[in-house]
Amino acid sequence: MFHLNKDRAAGIVLGTSFLITMALALFILAFLLAESLPVLREEGLSFITGQVWYVAGDIYGALPMIYGTLAVTLLALIIALPLGIGSAVITSEILTGRTRHIVKSLMEMLAAIPGVVYGLIGIALLTTSVRDLFGLMDGNTIFTAGLLLGIMILPTIMTLSDDAMRSLPGELRAQGRVLGLSHGQTIRRVVLPGSIKGITGAVLLGVSRAMGETISVMLVIGSLDRLPTPIYNVFTSGQSITSKLGREGAEGLGLGLQWSALAGLGLMLFISVMALTFTGNIIRGGVRPKKSKNHEVTG
Amino acid sequence: MILKRVYTFVTGFLLVTLLVMVPGGTAAAKRASIRVTGSTTVLPVAARAARSFMAAHPDVRITVNPGGSGMGVKSTGRGLADIGMVSREITDKERALFKDVDFNVMVFARDAVACVVSSEVYEGGVKRLTREEIKGIYSGTIKNWKEVGGPDRDIFVIDKEAHRGTRHVFMEYVFGEKTPAARGADLVSGANNEEQTKVSQSNSAIGMLSIAWINKDVRGMAIAENGKTIMPTKDNIINGSYPISRDLTFITNGPPQGVVKDFLDYIMSVQGRKIIKDSGYVPLK
Repeated sequence: MFHLNKDRAAGIVLGTSFLITMALALFILAFLLAESLPVLREEGLSFITGQVWYVAGDIYGALPMIYGTLAVTLLALIIALPLGIGSAVITSEILTGRTRHIVKSLMEMLAAIPGVVYGLIGIALLTTSVRDLFGLMDGNTIFTAGLLLGIMILPTIMTLSDDAMRSLPGELRAQGRVLGLSHGQTIRRVVLPGSIKGITGAVLLGVSRAMGETISVMLVIGSLDRLPTPIYNVFTSGQSITSKLGREGAEGLGLGLQWSALAGLGLMLFISVMALTFTGNIIRGGVRPKKSKNHEVTG
Repeated sequence: MILKRVYTFVTGFLLVTLLVMVPGGTAAAKRASIRVTGSTTVLPVAARAARSFMAAHPDVRITVNPGGSGMGVKSTGRGLADIGMVSREITDKERALFKDVDFNVMVFARDAVACVVSSEVYEGGVKRLTREEIKGIYSGTIKNWKEVGGPDRDIFVIDKEAHRGTRHVFMEYVFGEKTPAARGADLVSGANNEEQTKVSQSNSAIGMLSIAWINKDVRGMAIAENGKTIMPTKDNIINGSYPISRDLTFITNGPPQGVVKDFLDYIMSVQGRKIIKDSGYVPLK
């Protein structure tokens, strides 16, 4: 009955879903742009440089939120980068067989835990621990949010970096050893430089998850729309773009300048996260599993 | 690669199915439904009333969602909720946003907003504050509890989201305006249970809460005014002496009709008044 070739049918289905996905992304971008026009017209540059967000007076300055997003993302990176790559080295280069498999699956499972669960643990344990550990008045701080995000993106960075290192042909390692390099030296001089593209991609994807994470940040950051004094004091309450959207989105509800300002925040976030994810995927694009070659050497 | 393709396929498939199914799905719902949203102060009353109302009327489905008074007003104005829970007056700005909406306000109870502190502060000797002292704390000029007769500890000032009913009422008393900026704030909270948690987690916090949410960790301050000390109690709401009190309201777009009216009538009935009392508020006479 059907003379449609299977490949062609699959092509049509995949093509359609690709188009739908692209259309959705474009629609979201266009929507955010259109909705944020009023606030951009009203506030101009001070939408980005302004420090006061005062709904009753229709004043919308997003600088504290922009700062908060950058600060928590940077903190998360400082925490997750060394730990993530370090543990990826262990799972990829040191552990073997069953142990490796167990550790790796565990990490992949951690990466799938929803943000709200981390947030609840954050509220229950992290805020009070941070307060007591650093002798603070309260534990709902920019630092706490950064720490929580660091823990959250750690599994992502770790498993993707592990993939990147595993995808290096085994013969490279063998050559390293033939040249008289120790195991440690092989990792430093051969494995890490060889998989740097994949690792960078992993980190960028981790960062974009950190930037977009909402609920867990909202639960521990303190939600204060103010730049800290001095500016590097992350042990005070702050606000990120996502936590602001989480707090005010439902209330803004498609009306007036407040809604436009929230859409403007969303636009900034959307563009940054898209750019990071895109770059991350392009850089990672060079990484392809080459398991067959691994077998040639080890087998 | 294959996984990725499968994933894309599944996503596409689900999206298409969703688009096809949504219009058909709604036709199946036969039960009358009431959407209630807004103030977390009003929420316990609405939730309890909804439960017993639904038990008596199995054909009615009521969903009650928190979000704050601001959300109650806007959801009702936009037609996203049938009943808005609002623990303050509707502001001029909100009325201007919804010029075409005829808000119908049903007052069902009286409540008071207390200035609350962590129990450690209360036991440390701060049991009453004047309006000027609270104003000083929220504007950042009073920074240590010892300045108001308490322990030598920095004050941890908890503010609330600007659209919250509790904040409007509290700030109107303290600053003389509903939505002032509180420069002394160290933290901003949202719903009542969040505020309650943050105050009780701290040993030096000050905040604002409906009196129904006061407990042994979160203590209500007496207000010192004209040489008198007035406790935030139900009795003082009833006799009108406590200065920070308010109406709790349900709002609708135009006069309530049908099941919405039945539900609101139920809240004003004898059973409803008992629910209001049990929730910690004072039902209207």
